[in-house]
Amino acid sequence: MSNETSSPLFQPADSVPLPPRDADVLTTCCDYCIVACGYKVYRWPAEGPHGGPEKGQNALNRNYTLGPMQGNWLGPNQFTQALHNGRLHNIAIVADGDADVVNVGGDHSIRGGCLAQKVYSENKLTRDRLKHPLLRIDGVLVPVSWDLALDVAAELSKYVIQRHGESAWALKYQSYQFFENTYALTRLAFRSINTPAVAHHDHPSIVSGASGWVDIGYDPFPAAYEDFALADCILISGTDPYETKTIVWNEWILKGIRSNNTRVIMVNPRKTMGAAFAERHGGLHLDVNPGSDTALHLALQRIILENGWEDTDFIEQWVANKWDADSDAGQGTRDTPRQWRTTWDRFQVDGFRAWKQWLLAQEESRLDVAARITGISPEKIRQAAEMMARPRAGGKRVKTTIAIEKGNYWSNNYLNTASIGNLGVILGCGGRPGRAITRLGGHQRGGRNGGRYPDWKSPNKMPGRRRQRLDLDRWVEGGHVRFAYVVGTTWIQAMAGSQALSETFQRLTRDNPHQVRSRDKQQIIETLKQRVDSGGMLVVNQDIYLTNPIGTLFADIVLPAATWGESNFTRCNGERRIRLYSKFYDPPGEAKPDWEIVSMLARKMGFEGYDWRGPSEVFEESCAFSRGTRTDHQVLCTLAGLRGMTAHELLRSYGTTGLQCPLFLDGNEILESKRLHAFERKDIPETGPAGLSVQRRQIMAFKSHTGKLNLLKSPWGIWADFYAFMQPRGDELWVTNGRINEIWQSGFDDVQRRRYIQQRWPENYLEIHPGDARQRGIESGDRVRIASDRVPVQKGLILGIKSDDMWFSGLMKHNHIELVSGQFEAVAIVTPAIKRGVVFSNYLNKSNPANSITPRVPDPLSMNYRFKISSGVVTKIGESPYKNSFAQMSFKRRTIL
Amino acid sequence: MARENEIATHHNNCLSRRAFLLRSGMVAAGSLVLPLVPGLNGQTLAAQVAHYPRMFITRISTLERHTPVLFNYPDHQRNSTCMLVKLGARAGGGLGPARDIVAFNTLCPHMGGPLVGTYKPAEQVLGPCPFHQSLYDLTRHGMIISGHATESLPQVLLELEGNDIYAVGLLGLIYGRHDNLKA
Repeated sequence: MSNETSSPLFQPADSVPLPPRDADVLTTCCDYCIVACGYKVYRWPAEGPHGGPEKGQNALNRNYTLGPMQGNWLGPNQFTQALHNGRLHNIAIVADGDADVVNVGGDHSIRGGCLAQKVYSENKLTRDRLKHPLLRIDGVLVPVSWDLALDVAAELSKYVIQRHGESAWALKYQSYQFFENTYALTRLAFRSINTPAVAHHDHPSIVSGASGWVDIGYDPFPAAYEDFALADCILISGTDPYETKTIVWNEWILKGIRSNNTRVIMVNPRKTMGAAFAERHGGLHLDVNPGSDTALHLALQRIILENGWEDTDFIEQWVANKWDADSDAGQGTRDTPRQWRTTWDRFQVDGFRAWKQWLLAQEESRLDVAARITGISPEKIRQAAEMMARPRAGGKRVKTTIAIEKGNYWSNNYLNTASIGNLGVILGCGGRPGRAITRLGGHQRGGRNGGRYPDWKSPNKMPGRRRQRLDLDRWVEGGHVRFAYVVGTTWIQAMAGSQALSETFQRLTRDNPHQVRSRDKQQIIETLKQRVDSGGMLVVNQDIYLTNPIGTLFADIVLPAATWGESNFTRCNGERRIRLYSKFYDPPGEAKPDWEIVSMLARKMGFEGYDWRGPSEVFEESCAFSRGTRTDHQVLCTLAGLRGMTAHELLRSYGTTGLQCPLFLDGNEILESKRLHAFERKDIPETGPAGLSVQRRQIMAFKSHTGKLNLLKSPWGIWADFYAFMQPRGDELWVTNGRINEIWQSGFDDVQRRRYIQQRWPENYLEIHPGDARQRGIESGDRVRIASDRVPVQKGLILGIKSDDMWFSGLMKHNHIELVSGQFEAVAIVTPAIKRGVVFSNYLNKSNPANSITPRVPDPLSMNYRFKISSGVVTKIGESPYKNSFAQMSFKRRTIL
Repeated sequence: MARENEIATHHNNCLSRRAFLLRSGMVAAGSLVLPLVPGLNGQTLAAQVAHYPRMFITRISTLERHTPVLFNYPDHQRNSTCMLVKLGARAGGGLGPARDIVAFNTLCPHMGGPLVGTYKPAEQVLGPCPFHQSLYDLTRHGMIISGHATESLPQVLLELEGNDIYAVGLLGLIYGRHDNLKA
């Protein structure tokens, strides 16, 4: 009979103990998406006593049973047990039901709602946390002391720097892992070692995501979440916040749709729940072909200009004219990262009139041409333009907000961001309530540079005089890196063309003849010196879990890191709100936070000034490096000093509300900044902010040399050659990728260590249109292979001489492009939600990474990889067990309304 | 049908059924079998079912496909509204000859949104939640399809005795409660 019955993957709990009234309560925020909802941690001894159901009997301050929307419901996934000061405690991590910012009333995502399950416990799937430093001896990673691991790492670091130069010492790191950690890491890399071989987890170089906006003068995170509820129309490009920024959708965009009749336009090849809901409520879904957004933006601009719907007053006041453009030492609008002495007349224009003239001359701005390129019906494009720009009766302007994310800027980085930025400029976006232009964001903002990037040391150079930052993947491949310090990232699968990168690591590490066979420190050091001298590489991997393959296969030293909840940390969210993330339990084994490991390593290397006694000392030192940035919080350090407390304790007093940066001091009061570019802001004193606060242009104007916005040309031609190459040929389909609501942390938490998420997403998936599926004999639940034998991989270092050297055809001509093959597998989900001719998978499944076939050819202007456009052949290879099981995976449509 | 009769034989009286469940640690309970997951076993479930009330819901002969039957379980207190439905498609934990009769609590485990009235016959789905659009797959033990809840929709364990359908237990915690049996 067993085949007649069914088995759920696990048995969920049907009760959970409540925290007693006197439980310890600590504040923190979600560890995942940029929205960073406020959470409270309740901690009480495991043996109890527990709380009761009456309001006065529990620390949640609620009468159980709860009614709808009351907040503070404690579900089984919000509960765990952990050691605190060596003693077992009950831990409940609940979205803050009293929050009146961000996640108002205790709303939460599925991801944050399961935070308790990321806490280390010997009885849970987190039991495999790294607890001790490991060293590879005879091919096996064995536990060693901190001293031995760091003595070897420090000795090899010094040797590599002295013998092979500082550029041979590389840092690849998760660039948002809290201010304390990123500050310590970059202080070591930039200030102490001064290496250019540094890259973030998601790029081959240190780059700006919204690079076009940098040239225009828009900050990427100037908005307040409130703007999404105040806008009349929101254009969302390359993402759906329902899927990835849940609380921005739940608490802010839905509020606008329901109370302000906000029309939402979503541009995405995939019709997600947010897009379907927007359409149902008067908005639009523009089913764009991957990588074609610039043509859409050009067409929208043309319709707006031809109808005179642009915001003339705003343009008059805030757009740089010819005289502005030529001001400031003759650089004018060229005085921007990608234009100065580099691209000459390719992008800059002399003000609005010249730009309009350029736009109207572009073939791709014609509605019929744009409709053909984008695959969106002309009627929908026209409707979108009307929705976001056509003045209401009486000439009242529509308040339009524009929000973008990776589908937009990781397909055609510079042109897409420049062209949608221009759209923002002519619609008057920026600085006013409901009229924002912003990235929606990925990870939270915890990056702090503890030193300057040494641009002059990078061997990459564009035509003209502009140097580009070093491309670390190509630098490794060229054999120039001898010591790689990899912190909190998978590196391999997270980079484009990952199969080729993996082969490089194998060659430089395991295939090198010099492998450690001894436990003697001097012999270990000698062997590894021989490794690096023979052209090989030593990988030191610092992480919370042993990661495949960077840790399991390639690292010789693995260092156990402590993380969220295991040390006090600070970080900002997508509206620049800084909060304290409290330590509430003991890290596993000997694990230590990144800042502390860096401090030990740096001291062993002989560097001074790394003797921090705790995380707040690191934070206080880092505050000075926040000055003038969008997350300026120097005043926390100043005020804490005046009040005789640590900066962490001062920030703790602001709880889950925190403070919206940049912060200024007015007397002894802290002034927050709800928005950047807030040209109507009145609260900053005429004399400017007091103390050490820095008031930059972007606070009350825009982020350019004149404080005005630079309209840019965005010529389709510079993208056309690469785009033509990437177009599907024969029976290939567009292959794109992204996040899905239920998964944030692809590398460790969600799909790897939560039964609840494993039942939903046990493997990578591939959404495919019914028409494309039928042609290939594919049904939902079938296992499919996605393959390409023409993945372009850029090789060598580029010294651009002539202006076309760096475009794709120039790279091809000069043999900088090698075509390699790559494959990954997934379980098919046949759904009309994905556009015909396009398939969609998770962006990073460690076992089956979509990046196996993404092009490793970064945008030549901005060095962003184009992760979202690849093409491949999809074939059925069999049936997955989920096709006929009720325990795991669901193949139902995600857009049922 | 053989299995239903087999279960029915254990139902001759409630006491012996409970005693059987507790003593034997039977891995099958109602229409569900639990896998041997570390830290979990059939005993846990059996013990759990033994502590839940056994409540008559409806007669199988009166069920119409896609017409939900509302009932309260495991008590008549707050948040106890459940829904039984004949899906017309085989389902995890499904009862009846076609294994297509399932029952769930009707509060969205995200923030307690009412899901009564949101059943979608064509897809055998409950939702979207009127609050934040969470969707649940009734063929797969109430698994979230997309949305924000941190728990699956609590599934009511069912038993068939002759023509009568009984609720005998719950998988998962009802929204708003701290213990299913303490309302």
